[in-house]
Amino acid sequence: MTRKTRRTAAAAIALGITLAVTGCAGSDGGGSGGSSDGKVTLTLWENAQPGAGAEYWKAAGAAYEALHPNVKINIQTIQNEDLDGKLQTALNSGSAPDIFLQRGGGKMQAMVQAGQVQALDLTDADKANAGAAGIAGYTIDGKTYAMPVDTQPEGVYYSKDLFQQAGITAPPTTMPELQDAVAKLKAIGVAPIAVGAKDAWPAAHWYYNFALRECSQDTLKKAAQSLKFDDPCWTKAGEDLASFLKVEPFQQGFLTTSSQQGAGSSAGLIANHKAGMELMGNWNPGVIASLTPDQKPLPDLGWFPFPAVPGGQGDPAAIMGGLDGFSLSKKAPKEALDFLRFLVTTDQQKEYAKAFVAIPVNKEAQAGVTEPYNVSALQAFNKAPYSVLFLDTEYGQNVGNAMNTAVVNLFAGKGGGADIAKDTNAAAAKG
Amino acid sequence: MSNTLGAEPADGHQSQGTPGAGNAAAAARPAPPPAATRRRRGRAKLRFEIAVLSGPAILVFLAFVIFPVALAAFYGFYRWHGYGPPTDWVGLNNYKLILTDPAFQQVLWHTGVILVLSLAVQGPLAIGLALLLNQRIRGRSAIRVLIFVPYVVSEVIVGTGWSLMLQSSGALNDLLRHLGLGFLQADWLSDPKLAIWTLLGIISWKYIGFAVILMLAGLQSIPEELSEAAQIDGASYWQIQRRITLPLLGPTIRIWAFLSIIGSLQLFDLVYIIWGPYVAGTAGTSTMAIYMVGQGRNAGNYGYGSAIAVVMFLISLVVALLYQRFLLRRDLQGAITEGAS
Repeated sequence: MTRKTRRTAAAAIALGITLAVTGCAGSDGGGSGGSSDGKVTLTLWENAQPGAGAEYWKAAGAAYEALHPNVKINIQTIQNEDLDGKLQTALNSGSAPDIFLQRGGGKMQAMVQAGQVQALDLTDADKANAGAAGIAGYTIDGKTYAMPVDTQPEGVYYSKDLFQQAGITAPPTTMPELQDAVAKLKAIGVAPIAVGAKDAWPAAHWYYNFALRECSQDTLKKAAQSLKFDDPCWTKAGEDLASFLKVEPFQQGFLTTSSQQGAGSSAGLIANHKAGMELMGNWNPGVIASLTPDQKPLPDLGWFPFPAVPGGQGDPAAIMGGLDGFSLSKKAPKEALDFLRFLVTTDQQKEYAKAFVAIPVNKEAQAGVTEPYNVSALQAFNKAPYSVLFLDTEYGQNVGNAMNTAVVNLFAGKGGGADIAKDTNAAAAKG
Repeated sequence: MSNTLGAEPADGHQSQGTPGAGNAAAAARPAPPPAATRRRRGRAKLRFEIAVLSGPAILVFLAFVIFPVALAAFYGFYRWHGYGPPTDWVGLNNYKLILTDPAFQQVLWHTGVILVLSLAVQGPLAIGLALLLNQRIRGRSAIRVLIFVPYVVSEVIVGTGWSLMLQSSGALNDLLRHLGLGFLQADWLSDPKLAIWTLLGIISWKYIGFAVILMLAGLQSIPEELSEAAQIDGASYWQIQRRITLPLLGPTIRIWAFLSIIGSLQLFDLVYIIWGPYVAGTAGTSTMAIYMVGQGRNAGNYGYGSAIAVVMFLISLVVALLYQRFLLRRDLQGAITEGAS
């Protein structure tokens, strides 16, 4: 080897190492595509926990493949907190999965604006399967960008045993009744309400629900467009929360309590009968079940809708909630849409509801819901004149994050009801 | 004193005379040139070796450090939510917003307090412990290990452990109650008056081991003859420490302080784990890095977050340069001149 070739070789080796290190980010996970023999592989990203949820996806993929031998479904489970970041990177680098979990709101709007998701061409049968409410949650300017699979009405989960011990005869329906229940639970020495304020959003959901009761549907809708929070109802909702905080309804040290990890979390307090109530979405029973001493569902778990607030402009029966659904990325082949259609068929929805202890969007599958808390939630949902997405989803990450931070400040005793609207308006300037 | 980082004897004249130092300097020099060609070939070989040995490292460094920094500077000029390529050019607007944001002024203040107090608490404590552990006392190695253990444990474990113990229903409050000291129970993590001290306590506990080990290394490079001579001249223990040990330990202290300052400026993990990005703000423990992650990743304002990263980078750079220029200059000069001559 001459000196020159040796030097070139060294440079090549060095470059090769670098390329190997940097290049590995290139093509993992994403991509798909048909090949000449008509075979299609679809990639799907979901966030199920190991166990029944993950099993459901495996079974659903297999069932679909049996019906469509030319399609292979490649299901990838991505841990919930990692999902957003990975998805964003994949979408930007053009290696997005064909099908991915979608929660709607501001993030979906950003994806739509960047041209990264497909509008779905839904038939009447699809619409009947998925239900009008779910589809409305994923529709922007008349186009639907995701297929809903479950609905997550939010309300107060409570321990029937503790309520009985405290002498609370019926679930509270108004704010004064809720405050009364708080006092009674305190008297028997448990924390009345658990909240995981360390994660911010569980605390913020209290504000969202006060806003749901104080603000009219029209005001909530308009704010999604203007991102201005000048209507007095926003301040009123903050003041409601501030005065509710004065009765000290939450557990000690709620600011450093997380919501879902371990026995000391807010869900753990419910699971171990250390607290009476928790305001949460419909994923909560599953989380609570994983934190009970025997890791079985809590037998005495009940549910009631967020109490009415006297004098508010919102409908007292309106419901706040989230949606889980699935979007198709720009390059997904047409078979991907067909798989989404398959997911909302009655049989699949029944399996889904069973595996996730969730409320499916398919009306016929909803008949199979039996858990008492889900039955109550479903009844309230079906009675609701309208449903509003969680505000941090609805108003986008930037505004939602500012709102959550401002609510935590209020929980910490800093600032008043008007500051939430003020901080949220200021955040809109940064994004 | 113009000695290097504790590796050389303090006295400059003496060290030049010692054979070890002389040989090392000679070895670094190219061999004396018997013929011009041989020398050139030597140079080429040297360059080749440098290229092979440092090439990959330099390329990786460019790809993973320099390139992202440049990218952050680029994104900092955009309003960008992270979906699709950035298109909304806002010029210096992000920087204007950062500098006028009261939340940023707050985290800057917190960072400053953490920086100053870390130095003030850990420095004297570490020197004291090092002096103590430099004596021949019983169980010296065991104590050294115990002090160093927290430094080795990962931040995640330290953070989780302390946050569990310091919850209002946690072990510390329980312990206080059982000891009959119930009146001392407090909300260690969420009370804004206490939280910053809690953080300082945990930081000191975690990083003191590193400081002690550095100081011990520094102490051991100080020749015993000096203090023996002083003792013979009738100097007391305190006089010896103050006039001989501390000045000779100076370079070590300055390097430790430098590392501590840079660490404080970039403090993230412990705060993030114990308080999380939301509560850190109200508890008064939020730092620049927490603000960056909160505004960037959590709020989805990647352009704004990148601008904060650039501001952080500039602050760290300026502090580092000023520190080197004014405090480390003599220490480094010694090192560089001896290495290069």
